[in-house]
Amino acid sequence: MYRIKFKIAIILGFTGLINFQSFAQNNWDVPADKKSKNSNIEFNSGTAKEGEGIYNTNCKSCHGDIGKNNSLQSLKPVPPDLSSAQSKALLDGELFHILNVGRGLMPSFKEVLPESDRWKVIAYMRSYDKDYVQIISKTDPAKANLVKIKMVFDSINSKLNVEVVANEKAGIVKLKNAEIALFVTRHFGKMQLDKTLRTDNNGNASFDFPKDLPGDKVGNVELIVRVNDEIYGEIESISKFKIAVPTDKPSLTEKRAMWNVLAKAPIWLILLYLSGVLLATGVILYIIYNLYKLSKSNNNLKN
Amino acid sequence: MLEQSKIDKITSDLLGSIRLNKSFMIWMGFLGVSLFVCLGAYVKQLTDGLVVTGLGDYVSWGMYLSNFVFFVATSLIGMLISAILGLSGAKWAAPLARIAEIIALAFAAVAGLVIVSDMGRPDRLLNVFIHGRVQSPIVWDITVVTGYVLISALFLYIPLIPDLKICSEKLDKIPPFQRKIYKILSLNWNGTLEQEKLLKQSTRMLAILIIPVAMAIHTVTSWLFASTPRAGWDSTIMGPYFVTGAFVSGSAAVIIAMYFYRKNYKLQDYITDFHFDKMGKLLVLVSLIYLYFNLNEYMVPGYKMKKFDAIHLNNLFIGGHAVMFWMVQIFGLIIPIILLLFKKMRKPLPMLLIGIAVLIGAWFKRYIIVIPTMEHPFLPIQNVPLHFKVYTPTGIEILVSIAPLILVLIIITLLSKVIPIIPIHETIEQLEEKH
Ligand code: HEC
Repeated sequence: MYRIKFKIAIILGFTGLINFQSFAQNNWDVPADKKSKNSNIEFNSGTAKEGEGIYNTNCKSCHGDIGKNNSLQSLKPVPPDLSSAQSKALLDGELFHILNVGRGLMPSFKEVLPESDRWKVIAYMRSYDKDYVQIISKTDPAKANLVKIKMVFDSINSKLNVEVVANEKAGIVKLKNAEIALFVTRHFGKMQLDKTLRTDNNGNASFDFPKDLPGDKVGNVELIVRVNDEIYGEIESISKFKIAVPTDKPSLTEKRAMWNVLAKAPIWLILLYLSGVLLATGVILYIIYNLYKLSKSNNNLKN
Repeated sequence: MLEQSKIDKITSDLLGSIRLNKSFMIWMGFLGVSLFVCLGAYVKQLTDGLVVTGLGDYVSWGMYLSNFVFFVATSLIGMLISAILGLSGAKWAAPLARIAEIIALAFAAVAGLVIVSDMGRPDRLLNVFIHGRVQSPIVWDITVVTGYVLISALFLYIPLIPDLKICSEKLDKIPPFQRKIYKILSLNWNGTLEQEKLLKQSTRMLAILIIPVAMAIHTVTSWLFASTPRAGWDSTIMGPYFVTGAFVSGSAAVIIAMYFYRKNYKLQDYITDFHFDKMGKLLVLVSLIYLYFNLNEYMVPGYKMKKFDAIHLNNLFIGGHAVMFWMVQIFGLIIPIILLLFKKMRKPLPMLLIGIAVLIGAWFKRYIIVIPTMEHPFLPIQNVPLHFKVYTPTGIEILVSIAPLILVLIIITLLSKVIPIIPIHETIEQLEEKH
């Protein structure tokens, strides 16, 4: 009994500590290897401009306009203005890590924005800091072009097996321990399948593929594999597979319906509307004709 | 036959108001200056956008929309007095027909402008016509309001043709161009049998046509609300509820107009206590019908108190909108009904005061119908500042909402300075029939 109480006390203490931390500002505790990460995209007015667009759609709703201190005050904690001293003090790698993992109300953008977009948002933030000098990553972005991603579907076990290799001049290199994620294209963007994995020593990873994933009429789906490697950077590969459940649901906008475009309005509604308009117009025209007769009838009388 | 001297007296009495005197100038000056101030507010809204109003994502229909409903409602009276009473042979209403038509035309024509004031980008107005879908109640509304304005104009004009002829002949102190306009508009009227027949037939056809069209404009306006599933709007009696409510505000408007016309244009012989008495009874009748619809509209959901209805109704009955709700029901409906049951109250002055109370009540009633529902959407509102959730109209919004009323007064004043407010031709005709 006593022991249980003691455990509860410890747990409560811990959660209290965590809570406390999430309210205290700027305590991101970014691991050292992530801290030192840098962008190999140059931060200039061009990339900052692109970043502004990404910022406006993804961040502005909470963080407000940079430099105007108008972030959404009703959130807890209040999202900092990203040109504030505390945000400026964060290293590129720290910012990148924050964008990747999120915390509390700050969402993770890792699966939402490609790496290049995440760096461009940071480029935009940095355009508000005059004293900032960029350290460009020494990794060679061209190396990403050497990487080949091979996807094979194992229909018996319902698994998608992926092999990631790089065609170096010296020979084929298998990408070990690289982060790898699988997505499928849906109507409104990408949906992640299975979890984010790491490649094994042979550069292989194996994803569970759901048996009930709806495809198009014949069962085609578009799969995207995204690899993120320390040396080779971020690589994406897209290919089509005929492995999903063939689905032929008529689109909701195919037939005439209340919610459809004018050309596909329900017939009865068109008839009702037109008959009302025609009837009223007919009577009005007849009355105007009457007025015409009225104005002429007098002349007839005189002649 | 009526003796000529009597006809002459009627004619000169009823033409008497068509002249520009000092009080007209002062009144128009006052209206003009007020309109100018309100337009200033509108210019501010045009340049800065709808942020200058209290409207937002949640309450996107505010005072402008309730104003629109009020204007459409009041315009329905033309149909009640000129068409329904006219067709059913209620002769007492004949002298009031033109007043009702003028009110109808002015309110209906301005209602369209009220909608434009609710648009943040009025320059995109044409898109409503270019890209409108026949499935949208908004498109039906535009169609019927336009149609009603047209038909009301004809309904005012056609019975006026013989009077225009009289104007062109009998008015002496008018400039030649004005006489010419009267002449052109009177379409060679000479009072021949055939012309009388054509005029009667056209008026009758219009009177029949205007009934469904007027019903349609307010029913469709009610469907702007009733075709959504929101608490407070999702009701099948919305159409007749709006139409009967319209008769209440329209009757009140006619009573107020009658009072001022009678007093300022010295029409005591033509708009008599008898007419006020009749209008008072009419107002009681339509108010009772409206009360009956109110009972249905609030008691039936109030008995069931379904989840979302309950939030809405509690807000009206005992919550934030309770004061306005009960004031409207009591001072705009119940007390007027009770008072008007007494003959003493159906005299011009008490009727004027009651009419004003009813009209103000009718305006706030539209506010009660539009705004509270907007404040309670089905999806919870989270993490937004208070002024997003609770709508308060801004000063600019109030000014822009007053502008249409001034415009209506200007139209009514101008019209009653160029045409006789009581139909001359019909008055003489009716007297002749009696003899
Ligand atoms: C849903 C609201 C929300 C959105 C959207 C959002 N953030 Fe945040 N962000 C927050 C909150 C809340 C915090 C504070 C979190 C904390 O301290 O625990 C925060 C913190 C941050 C920080 C840390 C700043 C500091 O000084 O500690 C950065 C950097 C950041 N956000 C960047 C972004 C970027 C870039 C985007 C868009 C890609 C974005 N955020 C989108 C809510 C949001």
